[in-house]
Amino acid sequence: MKCALGTRLRIRAMAHVAGEPIPNFWPMRTFIHHNPLYGLEHMPFQKAVEEGERLFHGSGHLPRATYQRYLAQKKIDLGTLSSQIERFIANQPHIPGVDLPRLLNTLATKISEPLSIHLSVADAKDIHAELKGKALPQTEVMNDWLKEKLKSEIPPTRPVYAIVDELFGTEIGMSLDELVIKSCLDFFDEGQSVWQMPGREQGLFRAWSALAQQNLRLFIRGLHVKNILGADDTPEGIISHVMTELGVPEDAWLDYFTCELTRLHGWAGFIRWRSGAKHYHWSRNFPAGMVDYLAIRLVLGLALLREHAQSKGTPASLPDLMRLIDERPAEIYLRREFHGGHVLPVLAREVEEAICSDSESRISRLMPTYLARKRAQEARHYAARLHSLADMAGMLKHIEQLGTLEFNQLLEILMRFEKDEGQMWLNAQETHFMSRLLADLDLASQKPREKRPFAQVMFCIDVRSERIRRHLEKVGDYQTYGIAGFFGIPVGFIGLDKGSETQLCPVVVSPKNLVLELAIARNPEEQALASVLEQVFHELKASIVSPFITVEAIGMLFGLDMFGKSFAPLAYNRWRQRLHPERLDSRLLLDKLSREEADSIIRSLQRAMIVKAIGRDLGIEREAITDEMIRELRETALGNHSGPTVFAHQFKLNAQTEHNFLDRLQRVYRINSGYTQIQLERLGRIGFTLDEQVHFVSQALRSIGLTKDFSRFVLLTGHGSTSENNPYESALDCGACGGNHGIVNARVLAQIANKPTVRERLREQGIEIANDTWFIPAFHNTTTDELKLYDLSLLPPSHLVYLERLNNGLRAASRLCAAERMPTLNDSSHAENPAEAYRHAQRNSMDWSQVRPEWGLSRNASFLIGRRHLTEQLNLDGRVFLHSYDYRCDPKARLLENILTGPLVVGQWISMEHYFSAVDNIHYGSGSKVYHNVAGLFGVMTGNLSDLRTGLPAQTVLKNGEPYHEPMRLLTVIEAPFEHAKQAIEGVVKVRNLVHNGWVRMAIADPETGAFYIFEEGAWQLWDAHKKDLREKEIAA
Amino acid sequence: MALTLAAAIFLPLFPFSIVLNGMLMRLSNPYARFLLLLLWPQIGIVALSFTNQAIPGYMVIWALISSAHYALRLLTIRDLGLWAGFLASSSLALTWGLAAHHAPIEMHFFALWFSLPAALLTLLTGPLVKRFGAAYAGLYGGLASSMPRLSILLVVTVFAAIATPPSPGFFAMLNLLQRQSWPAAAAVSIIWLFWSWAATKLLQGFVFGADRRHGMPDLGRKSTLLYMSVLCAFVVTGIYITGGAL
Repeated sequence: MKCALGTRLRIRAMAHVAGEPIPNFWPMRTFIHHNPLYGLEHMPFQKAVEEGERLFHGSGHLPRATYQRYLAQKKIDLGTLSSQIERFIANQPHIPGVDLPRLLNTLATKISEPLSIHLSVADAKDIHAELKGKALPQTEVMNDWLKEKLKSEIPPTRPVYAIVDELFGTEIGMSLDELVIKSCLDFFDEGQSVWQMPGREQGLFRAWSALAQQNLRLFIRGLHVKNILGADDTPEGIISHVMTELGVPEDAWLDYFTCELTRLHGWAGFIRWRSGAKHYHWSRNFPAGMVDYLAIRLVLGLALLREHAQSKGTPASLPDLMRLIDERPAEIYLRREFHGGHVLPVLAREVEEAICSDSESRISRLMPTYLARKRAQEARHYAARLHSLADMAGMLKHIEQLGTLEFNQLLEILMRFEKDEGQMWLNAQETHFMSRLLADLDLASQKPREKRPFAQVMFCIDVRSERIRRHLEKVGDYQTYGIAGFFGIPVGFIGLDKGSETQLCPVVVSPKNLVLELAIARNPEEQALASVLEQVFHELKASIVSPFITVEAIGMLFGLDMFGKSFAPLAYNRWRQRLHPERLDSRLLLDKLSREEADSIIRSLQRAMIVKAIGRDLGIEREAITDEMIRELRETALGNHSGPTVFAHQFKLNAQTEHNFLDRLQRVYRINSGYTQIQLERLGRIGFTLDEQVHFVSQALRSIGLTKDFSRFVLLTGHGSTSENNPYESALDCGACGGNHGIVNARVLAQIANKPTVRERLREQGIEIANDTWFIPAFHNTTTDELKLYDLSLLPPSHLVYLERLNNGLRAASRLCAAERMPTLNDSSHAENPAEAYRHAQRNSMDWSQVRPEWGLSRNASFLIGRRHLTEQLNLDGRVFLHSYDYRCDPKARLLENILTGPLVVGQWISMEHYFSAVDNIHYGSGSKVYHNVAGLFGVMTGNLSDLRTGLPAQTVLKNGEPYHEPMRLLTVIEAPFEHAKQAIEGVVKVRNLVHNGWVRMAIADPETGAFYIFEEGAWQLWDAHKKDLREKEIAA
Repeated sequence: MALTLAAAIFLPLFPFSIVLNGMLMRLSNPYARFLLLLLWPQIGIVALSFTNQAIPGYMVIWALISSAHYALRLLTIRDLGLWAGFLASSSLALTWGLAAHHAPIEMHFFALWFSLPAALLTLLTGPLVKRFGAAYAGLYGGLASSMPRLSILLVVTVFAAIATPPSPGFFAMLNLLQRQSWPAAAAVSIIWLFWSWAATKLLQGFVFGADRRHGMPDLGRKSTLLYMSVLCAFVVTGIYITGGAL
């Protein structure tokens, strides 16, 4: 049975729209920093935060107590906070006798706990009476009021099982999540399980439903999914059937689906990403979509509801629930109080006994007492807090004397204030940071250098590069630049011994060109014993029978490994590394193949295939056939030749056998014109044309303003990290390289930039690269601070004499950087000497018990696009993304637009990921690493079954339970003439929206006028630092 | 016989156990509950010592059924004071297993090993009621992070109450099991298992999970030390008297 096409399409569209607020979740191997509220970026920041609270139950701002601590530490601009409060008050009604500015300032800065509590029964009159020490006014609770209240608080868009759980204390939601997670783990597994789920190639829903219908455990639990699945063949039809059975009105389906999908938003985000990742091996082979996932949730949810209805008498549909509310509102109210966790503790036992007794009279007797005490408690609680606030602000008498209307207005103002307060604190915090940064920038014109620097070093814009750049500039004559870590070259890369392509570029870009890594000298039989043993051990660990037969034999070896890793990680890992063969020297295949070369490769591949097919299918050995026969067979299979072949004649094949063999060549061995075309296209992706090579080098150099005065050495430094036992390792790698190490892109650009033909063309474009300039790829290990040079075998002999000086400089910078960084990782405040700190950093990278090998991008706060001299004298404490840019090299602002489109957007994702993981690590982050387990080799879960944890772990953003990362929106500063920068910002729609919606704070530093402009309150404004200082002095006074 | 039936009130057998549990429910003062739980079973043992006749076999079966009944009821109880009372009702009923073997001294100690931790649990209801309004599992949770001292005391006392080693109750239970026929020993083991299950549920409701009522002060250092000293003394004395691992 199938439902109508129209219905299916409608449900598919609804599932798609319902999943839009859920951000994509990339596999852990290529962790991509992303905004957890990416799906809400079309809204203004504050609105999106509120919507995020509704959908994901996460808080969008820090608690007031933390902001107050920041205020005490002078990290908050008090003037901005006060002016924000004044602006808020301007939109509120005037209350005679109440000094609102003073009251709200007191509330914000002196009271650490929120004032507003959820008032379910008490109202302003009760609180006012309580404040004045009078008895509460008499009221009577009507059944109709109760029914209305219950229905408004139980909307039809909430999953039915969630309502049942809240009213009956069942745990259907939890059981459902567990069943769904188990199903997802089975289906999405990428090699962790030894036994795979059968039928995965049919897709998620079909594979699951085939298995679920034979699942004895589900049947024993009383979950009769077969009956539900029998209603339709398609997931859309099943969704429609379940929703009809649940009695949810169709206009509520969309929100209902969103609630269902956001319940496990990590899994939903992964499925959402996977369904759109067409290049992803696992999604190509085992497809899955949101509709499949939704259908599985709904089927299991309905089965669980029915099972509970049968065994415990709970309602199984929305109409049943509504009927219950109409018939027994008092009981439902008490049930909700008790099972929803709102019950008055002092009456908890009475309430539990009453609802368990199922006696209407007992409930009726208890209800008035309960409501009266609840009302009194709420009023007392609120009044006590208000009393404390009013007393502190010196306004107790005034507030007590307010009329009922005014008092009610005051409570509403306080409630609105506490709702908006987080944003006010955030603005004040950002203003403080911004005013310090802008004031320190050096906008004076750069002095020309007397001679070219010893080396020019390009680093990724990553905030971790700021420290090492600063130290490198201090230790010698080095000039540093910041550029996105993929160096502007989007590369698809197939490394040595790798069968699949890795995309080395920001996830918003799809690489067109493929680069192959080829070994220079290769002996395939050369493989170290250690590697073989490692592979054997790995397979033994994965086998389900090995624990029974191998523990006694080789358990001790694992024990040695454990002791080595635990007690002497540095020495032990160095010893282990020595057992591995050295990595082979390799080159990258960068040049495009000509048409003839590509044809020749395909021809030889097809010939090899034909020889194999003849041997396998006809049992004829190679020596019995000639090259001419193979050529003729190939031409026939490709359709270039017709009629009987010499091959058939020679081996006396009849027409039918010959036809069948040719058919197999075309279908099974893919020797046909269509597939040949595909192969040609694939080969066409390998390498870059000369034009492309020149374009990429030119663009990279122009975008950072390096077009003349090249040094002898130009280092292209990619970065990455190394750590042990860390599923989040790729989160510490280069985001601009898609969560991978950046060395390949550096090697590609260096190899291209060293080509004489490329340099010649660049010279024609006005980029004069000196003849003795050599581009060297380098790697910055952000965990150890090590800087390592690559492809030194290509270095001209004339440069070798300078290599020692270069290495010395890099080593010194590494050690100094480690010395600056290590105290932030340790709890001890004492500074280590550079060599000691460097060793300590290396130990961190090899210690498998280390939950925080480095801080990563934590504390990132700003993105600066401009020349280095702006910040050259500043210690930016590893908090600023530095992108070199010289507006004088970019008259049309095209390069600036590129920077805004790629690096800035990635920077904003990083910033938002850190922001939300720091403000609410439970909901937007991934909690403590200590409890994490790898799921299916693509994600992590907390414990053995949980939602996929999507954000950053607590160890990355928190220190001793408090935010180490100071959550702020990314402050972007562009050094360029105002109109030039504004034109670029307005020209990139995505960035313009981010700025206008307040996801990014934008400032322009105009070097020609020396003025700063900031985008605030929907418009560009001149930043007046002097005026701000005066205002601060006024407040301080 | 009258004395035996009187003993069934103090070494509570259902339905006579209603008296003890009714009194515990009515007493709101934790100290009064503490004393009641401590003294109540000792009166029963004294009463039994005055009976000259042997304890009939059906009394042991009755005691096992009564104990199992309260062990099962424990699974659904969330009020800590009531939970302590029900656990005492379940464990003290097992004293009848020793009564059949005429071991009055062992009975006194057996009752003490189970009534003291239960009584100590009722003392912990005081600070919980004072801070939250009720000592009720599942209402606030997350005490481990907000009130670590109280949580530790609660966990250790509950463990002692359900006869987890090295509490004296554990060795007393081993002694009891040795003296029973195998069907009775199997029944006692199942009852023991139910206590552990109920304890896990109780602690889950109090100690673990998210803290829903922030800012509550923990127990004072002195009270904690005093309480912990009593527990330690209880364990050490128990090991000394029961002979440890026998």
